[in-house]
Amino acid sequence: MRKEWIARVIVIFLLAAAIGIPAVGWWKRSQGIVIHARMAETGGWTPENLTVAVGQPLHLRLTSDDVTHSFAIGQSDQPAVEVKPGEMTEVTLTLDHPGKYTFYCTRWCSVNHWRMRGIIEVTGQQTTPEAVEPPLYILLGLDIDGDHDAEVVPAQMPSALRGAQFQNMVAAVYRSREYYQTHSPVELWQALRSEPASQPLADQDVWDLVAWIWQSNITPQELSVGQQLYTANCSACHGETGSGNGVFADLLAQPDTENHSVRQTGQMTIRPADFTDPVHILSASPAHLQGKLLRGGMGTGMPYWGPIFTEDQTWALIAYLWSFQFEMEKLP
Amino acid sequence: MKMIRWLQRAVQFSLPSLAVLALVVIFIPSPAAAAIPTDRTFHIEARRFEYAPATLTINPGDRVTLELTATDVVHGLSIDGYNLEVTADPGQTARLTFVASRQGSFRFRCTVTCGNMHPFMIGKLEVGRNTLLWKGITLLGLALAAGMWRLRK
Amino acid sequence: MSLPQEIPWLEKASSAERGAATRQDRAAPGRVNLLRISWLRPLLVSRWPQFLVRAVTLAGFVFAITAGLLGSQVGSHNFAIIFVWIAWWTALKLVFIPFGGRSWCSVCPIPLPGEWLQQGGILEKGRRFGLNLRWPKRLRNSWLQSNGFLLIGLFSALTLTDPRVTGWVLLALFALAIGLSLIFERRAFCSYICPIGGFTGIYARTAPVELRVLDNAICAAHIEKTCFQSCPWGLYPVAFRDSSACGLCMECLRACPKDNIAVNLRPFGSDLTQPGSRTRLDAAFLTLVMLGSAITFAAVFTGPWGSLKSAAFAIGSLAWLGYAVGFLALNLLALPGLFTLTVWVGHKLSGAKLPLRQMIAEQSQALLPLGLMAWIAFTVSFALPKLSYILGVVSDPFGWGRSLLGAAATRWSPDVSGFSSILQVILLFTGLLWAGRVIRQRSWPVLVFCLGYSLTMLWLLVG
Repeated sequence: MRKEWIARVIVIFLLAAAIGIPAVGWWKRSQGIVIHARMAETGGWTPENLTVAVGQPLHLRLTSDDVTHSFAIGQSDQPAVEVKPGEMTEVTLTLDHPGKYTFYCTRWCSVNHWRMRGIIEVTGQQTTPEAVEPPLYILLGLDIDGDHDAEVVPAQMPSALRGAQFQNMVAAVYRSREYYQTHSPVELWQALRSEPASQPLADQDVWDLVAWIWQSNITPQELSVGQQLYTANCSACHGETGSGNGVFADLLAQPDTENHSVRQTGQMTIRPADFTDPVHILSASPAHLQGKLLRGGMGTGMPYWGPIFTEDQTWALIAYLWSFQFEMEKLP
Repeated sequence: MKMIRWLQRAVQFSLPSLAVLALVVIFIPSPAAAAIPTDRTFHIEARRFEYAPATLTINPGDRVTLELTATDVVHGLSIDGYNLEVTADPGQTARLTFVASRQGSFRFRCTVTCGNMHPFMIGKLEVGRNTLLWKGITLLGLALAAGMWRLRK
Repeated sequence: MSLPQEIPWLEKASSAERGAATRQDRAAPGRVNLLRISWLRPLLVSRWPQFLVRAVTLAGFVFAITAGLLGSQVGSHNFAIIFVWIAWWTALKLVFIPFGGRSWCSVCPIPLPGEWLQQGGILEKGRRFGLNLRWPKRLRNSWLQSNGFLLIGLFSALTLTDPRVTGWVLLALFALAIGLSLIFERRAFCSYICPIGGFTGIYARTAPVELRVLDNAICAAHIEKTCFQSCPWGLYPVAFRDSSACGLCMECLRACPKDNIAVNLRPFGSDLTQPGSRTRLDAAFLTLVMLGSAITFAAVFTGPWGSLKSAAFAIGSLAWLGYAVGFLALNLLALPGLFTLTVWVGHKLSGAKLPLRQMIAEQSQALLPLGLMAWIAFTVSFALPKLSYILGVVSDPFGWGRSLLGAAATRWSPDVSGFSSILQVILLFTGLLWAGRVIRQRSWPVLVFCLGYSLTMLWLLVG
């Protein structure tokens, strides 16, 4: 009978270990915050709302339940961290200002990838209330849903390099940052065309001049930042060459799929915008594009990037979009 | 008559001689490739849990460029027997260039966990003739012959 | 497969025991009684070594269920998926079955709690528990097991990759085994329900291990039949014609007062070429189901056809319905139909005077080595490339970000592709060669059937 009892004790001991060790691990794991990442279709972030006191370090342990995701905080310099399936990534955040921060996924994980967003609410006393200036497109009162086609388009792709030789013919008013942000290339072309100074120029020369003026408002750093942002965030739909044929374009174009939640409006296409199409793009001003970028929608699957990009990033991205219309290389 | 007696004796030792024959078939060197090496580019779309195209056919010595486009989630690609790896995010075509130095049929697999069936996301790279398959067919023919011989008796 | 009547290295191993050799040893040609090996005998006779292994497998099984239900939902980082479907499955197919027949059954944890309840104790018998009913006579065959395996095939893509599903399936098997132990007598679950037990049993006929009675006369004179009384499976060792039913639990030799039971090493495939061995139609069907499943799994898991994988995975969808219909048509119609046809043709040609049913059952024995080798070849390409996951889940069984073995463990990834495809070719060659030696009555059409099967597997695995 003693043997029997030894055997029973061994079995019970091993079973207790087989259940107990995972149970203790389970309990310990529930201390601290674990954020699970899933595709937006199957739940997105869990939990998706966090609260922390201002200045308090926030320890997060991130894991994915399906595919590769990534974690980043909108409008911040914090580098994104990879969130891999079945692995834990630890991050410690210290947020110094009260308010609502958006955290989001930076790796495309489905057509609804951009819906993977959550909120970190940082509570505390606002020491000095910062006056937040509304974005330019709001100040200008632009109707970003009202697109119109360009009345004129260049015969060939305008070149800033060629345009540089006519730069002396341009009045200073057209070269300001403010003019660039608030006018479309078509508007600039029409204004220049009606200037007596540029009468001797051919239409294409004026377009080259437009390209040069646009380029002079854009730094190479902006272009490179813009290209990175475009590749990571836009090319999945708008395509690597900007022609609106990204890998998700066909999904978005299918009417009545669950993949786009927005109704089709009028003749408006559901396909992502083609940045290489001058008729569509040259009639838009940077501020107009800013509105589309920040607010999204427009009856398409376009995400709203307002909570994600900083103002500089937005302008850099817009700067890069012009490279699909203008040849912008500088003189060697 | 002599021939038949010789054959009968051979059959008596059939198992060891079959084993030797089988080893010869497996390790006999395959004829070298005759095709002139060329540059080839394949555009591969990766989606859960398949590659399209899933079978790539090339000649030994070819310089191959794979352009991998992921169309739903992040995917990767590595080829059995080649120490190579590439990963592609949706919207960011990734490229991989290598020289197909080894002849035969190789599986390529996804390297980034992309869902349940990820471990079985597989494609095939066929470099020249699949000599192992032909050797296998020869061996099965041998086994068939051995079986037939036994059943005759 | 080489089938020498004597195995040289075994002869050598037993030569030390020659002095103690009894008349019974001479009665079994080409056999080596493991109980005559002095250091091995106590390991088999004592209940403790087996009990300790069983206690560990039981704990491991419960741990796998817990990991499946609580751990990461990502299969490659969950102990349940990797240990059950990669580690255990590989060990079963590559070691336990080909070299030990039903040896896994002797340490399998699933029926243990039920059995312990039945006999009222672990090592010693106490107050019995449960209804102890007899298993219905109509179900005393392997039809349920064949259907169980088909069911596994239908849902395999999900079960093999989803830790939660794996956890629930293991739990369900566990509950079923315990429940049946409480209702029916002995190992009803193992003998008639467990799908793993089903195919382990048929392939055990090819394995080089057997448990047999040394001298039938001694048993005939023994009135108490303690071996039968003590057998958890309800078997009587004197009646053994082949090794498919015996679970190698060793209880009979522990109970035998005359030391009249041998655990023999024997040449591979001894049961298949033995004249007296009989096969029933249900076993033939199970054999065919195993062939069909190997083809299906090789196509789904190692083939380049993404839509097939998606169809097998998307359970309940229209695509899956197509997969299910195809899978069932292959296993219920195509393979049995083709096999029956070849047997029938062979039957006509040889002019044998046996009923067709019996011919089918007998010729299906040739499919055992064929299927076994095909399964091993499939497992080589299914599991070997995934072996690197094993260290990873040992290091972090639940996918909770632990690192018990350090980061080095997760980076180990061997490339076995070159060697594994040559191995697969040799395995399939061996399978066909072996099958050719088992076919009876000069029925060469059956050999052609086997060739066709081997070519299909060859194309799927190395093509």
